[in-house]
Amino acid sequence: MAGVNNFPFLSILTLGPLVGAAVVACIPKAKGNLAKIVALAVSLVMLVLSVFMWVAFQVGGDAQRFQFRESYPWIPGLGVNFTFAADGIALVMLMLIAVLVPLVILASWHDAEQSRRSVPVYFALLLSLEACMFGVFAAADVFLFYVFFEVMLVPMYFIIGSYGTAKRQYAAVKFFLYSLVGGLFMLAAVIGLWVVGGKTFDWVALTQIDIQTGTERWLFLGFFIAFAIKAPFFPFHTWLPDAGGAAPAGAAALLVGVLDKVGTFGILRYCLPLFPEASQWFAPWAIALALIGIIYAALLAVGQNDLKRLVSYTSIAHFGFIGIGIFAFTTQAGTGAVLYMLNHGLATGLLFLVVGMFVARRGSALVSDFGGAGKLVPVLAGVLFFAGLASLALPGTAPFVSEFLVLIGVFTVNKTVAVIATLGIILAAAYVLWMVQRTTQGTLNPALADIEPMRKDITLREKVVVAPLIALLIVLGFYPKPVTDVINPAVEATMQQDMGKQDPAPTGGGVTEASR
Amino acid sequence: MTLSPYVPIVGLLILGALFALFSVSIAPIVGPKRYNRAKLEAYECGIEPAPQPVGGGRFPVKFYLTAMLFIIFDIEIIFLYPWAVSFDALGLFGFVEMVLFIVTVFIAYTYVWRRGGLNWD
Amino acid sequence: MEDLNLPPIDYAALSPILILFGVACLGVLVEAFAPRRARHPVQLVLAIGGSVAALVMVVLERNTRVVTIGDAVAIDGPSLFLQGAILLLGIVSLLLIGERSLEAGGPFVAQAALTVGSEKDNRQAQGAPGNTEIYPLAVFALSGMLLFVAANDLLTMFIALEVLSLPLYLLCALARRKRLLSQEAALKYFLLGSYASAFFLFGVALLYGYAGGVNLQQINEAVAASQNSDILLYAGLALLAIGLLFKVAAAPFHVWTPDVYQGAPTPVTAFMAACTKVAGFGALLRVLYVAFEGVQWDYQPVIGTIAVLTMIVGSVLAVTQQDIKRLLAYSSIANAGYLLVGVVAQNREGVSSTLFYLVAYGFTVLAAFGVVSLVRDADGEATHLSRWAGLGRRSPLLAAIFTFLMLAFAGIPLTSGFISKFVVFGAAIDGGQSWLVVAGVVTSMIIAFPYLRVIVMMWLSEPAETTPTVSVPGWMTSAAVFIGVLATLALGVVPSPLLDLTNDASLFVR
Repeated sequence: MAGVNNFPFLSILTLGPLVGAAVVACIPKAKGNLAKIVALAVSLVMLVLSVFMWVAFQVGGDAQRFQFRESYPWIPGLGVNFTFAADGIALVMLMLIAVLVPLVILASWHDAEQSRRSVPVYFALLLSLEACMFGVFAAADVFLFYVFFEVMLVPMYFIIGSYGTAKRQYAAVKFFLYSLVGGLFMLAAVIGLWVVGGKTFDWVALTQIDIQTGTERWLFLGFFIAFAIKAPFFPFHTWLPDAGGAAPAGAAALLVGVLDKVGTFGILRYCLPLFPEASQWFAPWAIALALIGIIYAALLAVGQNDLKRLVSYTSIAHFGFIGIGIFAFTTQAGTGAVLYMLNHGLATGLLFLVVGMFVARRGSALVSDFGGAGKLVPVLAGVLFFAGLASLALPGTAPFVSEFLVLIGVFTVNKTVAVIATLGIILAAAYVLWMVQRTTQGTLNPALADIEPMRKDITLREKVVVAPLIALLIVLGFYPKPVTDVINPAVEATMQQDMGKQDPAPTGGGVTEASR
Repeated sequence: MTLSPYVPIVGLLILGALFALFSVSIAPIVGPKRYNRAKLEAYECGIEPAPQPVGGGRFPVKFYLTAMLFIIFDIEIIFLYPWAVSFDALGLFGFVEMVLFIVTVFIAYTYVWRRGGLNWD
Repeated sequence: MEDLNLPPIDYAALSPILILFGVACLGVLVEAFAPRRARHPVQLVLAIGGSVAALVMVVLERNTRVVTIGDAVAIDGPSLFLQGAILLLGIVSLLLIGERSLEAGGPFVAQAALTVGSEKDNRQAQGAPGNTEIYPLAVFALSGMLLFVAANDLLTMFIALEVLSLPLYLLCALARRKRLLSQEAALKYFLLGSYASAFFLFGVALLYGYAGGVNLQQINEAVAASQNSDILLYAGLALLAIGLLFKVAAAPFHVWTPDVYQGAPTPVTAFMAACTKVAGFGALLRVLYVAFEGVQWDYQPVIGTIAVLTMIVGSVLAVTQQDIKRLLAYSSIANAGYLLVGVVAQNREGVSSTLFYLVAYGFTVLAAFGVVSLVRDADGEATHLSRWAGLGRRSPLLAAIFTFLMLAFAGIPLTSGFISKFVVFGAAIDGGQSWLVVAGVVTSMIIAFPYLRVIVMMWLSEPAETTPTVSVPGWMTSAAVFIGVLATLALGVVPSPLLDLTNDASLFVR
């Protein structure tokens, strides 16, 4: 037990891609292919490492909540440590990153060349983004978390700004400013927490302190605004369609699939345990925002003509589901929400990557520029259809499990919310099916047939990209137990230990006695 | 409460004002009046006051330079005087300090001299 | 006549100030006697050597805590730290000032007073050798700054203020290009600066009337016990504060900053932004913490309001700037606001965080102006923002450096800018001044936009036909920029040593 569990998985996961990024950045511009291969290799090594970590993670009765804990002093004067630790929630997110990044690198194999900018730099940015994402989920020190939370912006900003589509400047600046605004609110709250908590940043120590109600609410708000912008929740969402629309498809998959999960993850890991009273006080508001997000974003998605913006809007709707799952404060809904984070990352990641494949062929992301594409590229169209179905949570695909868990979890505490949220499912069917129909079905758009790349169906590289995601979506749709077993104890600890919430009596999934 | 300590001061003020008024007003009455050209002209530090070009013309900067140099030495004298008065009390320390002071003034002076600040043309 | 009792003098503690003053005097003699050709190298070596020697003395004296020379100078933790900081930043600025390879004749002219556009002036702008008096002037200013942060009575402080200000007025006028702007900057700075000095002096006079002395301890005791009218105290403090706040460019006494920063030769701007700010805040800290501790509850809201105003003015006006030097000037105003937040905290953390911020900001701003001095076209530095479009394509390294500096100004983690904002805000919350932190956070959001705009300009815009060339920097500018960037990174990643140092240095002697 001790041997594997003491292996510094988390710091290697964080540092590895960073070193890789430095190496890739040093590769001369002319050797773009070498850069791609090195980047892919680094990300695959990280994937292998995280698989080992997954296996080493202990599940079961006496397993610790936080495992792989490492702590090194950083700024003793301020009480800052490099503390990494992963609970089930973080572990799932780390796995998601490890799976998605190699696929994204493979999917964006030719993206950087089109933009006339340096290819190695693009992949170096992707790797440094991976490092920051690992760091932000692995951090168990509030300061460290904040550092990764903010630094993460920089590579993403340059990816969108330098390698994106026509409106990239606007989108990049908007993305950066929105996130920075949230980050600065959080900074104020972090400093406030630090002062109230006796100058420590240790997550465990900070969950123990008692904060005055008024202060707690302000601090909660500081964190919550940052996470709500990041997630994004209505009404802080307007940056996401622009950023998602302008980013290269691979980066957009990471942006929506992983980066935005930092928001919901942050609410679960920081807002709830650190400010339990305030979380309950604000919960009705948060749920209201989430519900508005579900309906409003779904309606906007129906009206979108740009594929990438459409997928971005669907994500905002999905984040609403995650939001109500978290703020229902039951283990079931919470587990559903975390599972949703994973499944949404896979499904939307797949959707973005497939859309990217279409866009790369057509040279345009407008739905109206397609039409009947299924006749030219039947396999690719099939993949798009599958990704759409997964995204609308069809039974048999993984997102169904999580959406179902969230809804029944919410239903046990608040029936109205659950019923309203169910409307979102109907709208989801509408926007996904309509999008698929307008792009791939129906009569062939004559302009489409003249475009040479459109006649080329899915390539081997693209098959390699989509196959693992499709497999995961199906497997987890039928057998999510390995994942829920990891998530459940962590969510339970959050809800019962940190929040002091008891689950309502008749629930399904793994409720144990409150261990307080 | 008495204002007595201030009475002599007020008296001195009044006396001073009266003296000034008296001297100025008595001079034109009792003094001789012999005018010449130079006397009628405005006094401007030795410069020809007229004819001036339109707009008042420019005043050569050399005069300012000399004036500033003069002020430096002027102030040096003001510093030297109280030191000289209490030379005994200040002793060797005061002497060294004063030498340092004079040296710094002379450093500036040599700079001005070497860079041509003392040449009139 | 009986002997006067001479006050004890700790020459070792005063040695940094004395060394610099001596070096400056030597520099004047070099100007007088050395042949023209030898002057530049001799002066450069002299100035940097003198600063290094003074720095060594500061380090050797690091454990001294003494009030000396008749209570006129206090050598304690803050003054030694600030003197060290000023000297370090001063040495880096001297590197920028000493650069001669960017432009024929260097960035300075020989005669500042020539009529702009006259034949002689044109010849001068075309590359006639510049003057070398800048070195003694800069060293005089440095020695004044060292005294300014250590002055323990208000008259000494005033003299130090003049010693540091007068050379700066002159230095501002010496830019080789854009002569008219430079002269305007110098005149503006001089007029407003002397005005501020007058305010300062008037304040000293009123406080003398209140406390019966100008010594900071005396004032401190008088604040606690004096029977005199409080009007004298408050009016005196207000006037004094105006004089000091002018020097650190706090609103509403900031109006000179953009014009002066823009017009002055860039190395001099860097020198002012880094060193003068350190000196000004050092003196402000000492005055407020040592002399007026007893009325801190009265002035805290006022200085707090000024801090908020400064942050708002700096950040909002930075948004509309089109000139990189003006942008940095407004950024420097906003940073003065953040520093004031630390000052207002009124606790030990307030002092230590302000000290940290000053050093961190100083290095970043030096590097930033160093980069500005490299982006040139035929007319000298190309400071208009539109000229920076596409710079990332032409010279990625320089643009990357400047991007990093901008991110540091914006307070992104892993840069010194983040840690310094963090400690300052932390001290303010600790001191019960959360409203200032809220204002600080909001203005940080606003000012992030102009920084971001520069980054967008450099990387995301297509280069224009006339994108200026980036001069190959001489070793001195390279060294200065390198030191600045390295410090910005190091203080962001491993801030512990400096944090510990500021903590140890944050107690004033009384």
